[in-house]
Amino acid sequence: MSRASAETEADAIEELYARGVTDGLPVVPPTPARVARAVAASGRRAEELVALVPPNYGRATVEKVAVNAVMAGCRPEYLPVVLAAVEAVCDDAFDLHGVSATTNSPSPLVVVNGPIRLALDINCGAGVLGSGWRANATIGRALRLVCVNVGGATPGVVSMSTLAHPGRYSYCIGEREEASPWESLAVEHGFPVGGSTVAVLAADAPLGVYDHRSRTPEDLLGTLAASLAVVSHHKATHWGDTLVVLSPEHATTLGDAGWKKADVRRWLWERLRRPVRELVPGRDGGEGLPEHVLAKFADPARDDTLIPKFRAPENLKLVVAGGTAGRFSAIVPGWTFPKGSSLVLRPIRTP
Amino acid sequence: MADYLDPTDSVAVPRKTAPRPASLEGRTITLLDISKAKGDHLLDRIEELLHERARPKAIVRKKKPTFARPAPDALRREIAGATDVLIEALAD
Amino acid sequence: MHDGVFFEDHGIPTATVISAEFVGAARAQAEALGATEYRTVVVPHPIQPLTRDEVRALADKAYDDIVRRLTT
Repeated sequence: MSRASAETEADAIEELYARGVTDGLPVVPPTPARVARAVAASGRRAEELVALVPPNYGRATVEKVAVNAVMAGCRPEYLPVVLAAVEAVCDDAFDLHGVSATTNSPSPLVVVNGPIRLALDINCGAGVLGSGWRANATIGRALRLVCVNVGGATPGVVSMSTLAHPGRYSYCIGEREEASPWESLAVEHGFPVGGSTVAVLAADAPLGVYDHRSRTPEDLLGTLAASLAVVSHHKATHWGDTLVVLSPEHATTLGDAGWKKADVRRWLWERLRRPVRELVPGRDGGEGLPEHVLAKFADPARDDTLIPKFRAPENLKLVVAGGTAGRFSAIVPGWTFPKGSSLVLRPIRTP
Repeated sequence: MADYLDPTDSVAVPRKTAPRPASLEGRTITLLDISKAKGDHLLDRIEELLHERARPKAIVRKKKPTFARPAPDALRREIAGATDVLIEALAD
Repeated sequence: MHDGVFFEDHGIPTATVISAEFVGAARAQAEALGATEYRTVVVPHPIQPLTRDEVRALADKAYDDIVRRLTT
């Protein structure tokens, strides 16, 4: 690059920041040539409509997604993953309208399954939720830029999140299928073995769970359940989809004992029920069951009826990811109260 | 300045607000609860005040399933076809 | 905000009651849809920690604004 063109690039970076179309970090200027390469790599027509992006319902064409993907730093071959993620967050079940406007903190987390993880070098191993991999760093970032630039989720203007979290820069992981004792997240949801998919979850920041000593499923899951119990707040109930990212060592403790995913989910779900009397507002904090639920019980302060933390065992989504050394897992709470957002999966279409 | 493409998409179309009646007397008023906690308390009191002061033809209460989404199309059309004015609460 | 813009588009005068913290978001969202004339009715923030009677008192204060928003 000549000195003159380097200065032109620097000016473009400054101008894009000034226009309010970045996430605060420098972006790659989306020149027509760069965008054309990304569109070509998708095998789709530039003007093809991928989705209408809430809350503005802006038109996410293949080209418009490519512009944002180039800005995020994506390589052209990442575009099919970004397109699938855009389709997924615009599914009504994801409720991007709420995700983008709420005072809560969710950001779309992208979980990639299938052979495309290896083809694109999407990190599934050590440091999976962190930095250092171009695909993870830029695919999640591209999705976020589409939500802001096409959907209108400008932070502090339309997106009213009180705190948000660092995942709003990028939030993308691969499942370490090779280290899992179970079927993948995608296969569990009915997608074929050998296909590639994205799953998107309206996700809070990950909460690390350290358990070095447990040697049995019951011991390990007891630790995990106690951390799951504080999702949202410690007396929140009827929560929806939430991700448990099990490290390979933790997954092995469960898998070697013969436990299937369904066994793990059921055990956690049952452990995470609590009697009404422990969920009354004013006992251990002002939060608690809402009035319309309390009204169903004659004497809530003494009622032993069990109320589930999660609506069903199936709301506990299990994936295996991270380094093969370390007895750590992470809980990624969903923003998934009743009638709100749910996990959505989409196949990745490659040319 | 390098030539680059626009990452945004404007969907703004010029819109006008609806014509207003001179008063609420004889009108059907719909109170739409967006299902955020406490909004029902506000609307309960608004309903009382409307009955006391506005002499409406009728007051209809509706509730959308969740504040986190726009109202479903069917509910929107049902309301639009049967009311003169609308009060929606409470976004906080 | 989308609901209010929908009803105004369909000829229904609408008063959307919001708390003060959301005035900017409501205006930005309405303008993004092209509804530059759209105006809300504002009550003080916060709402969620208030008792039933405190919320009812806000309704008394907002009533005149609501009627003004719906009539000429």
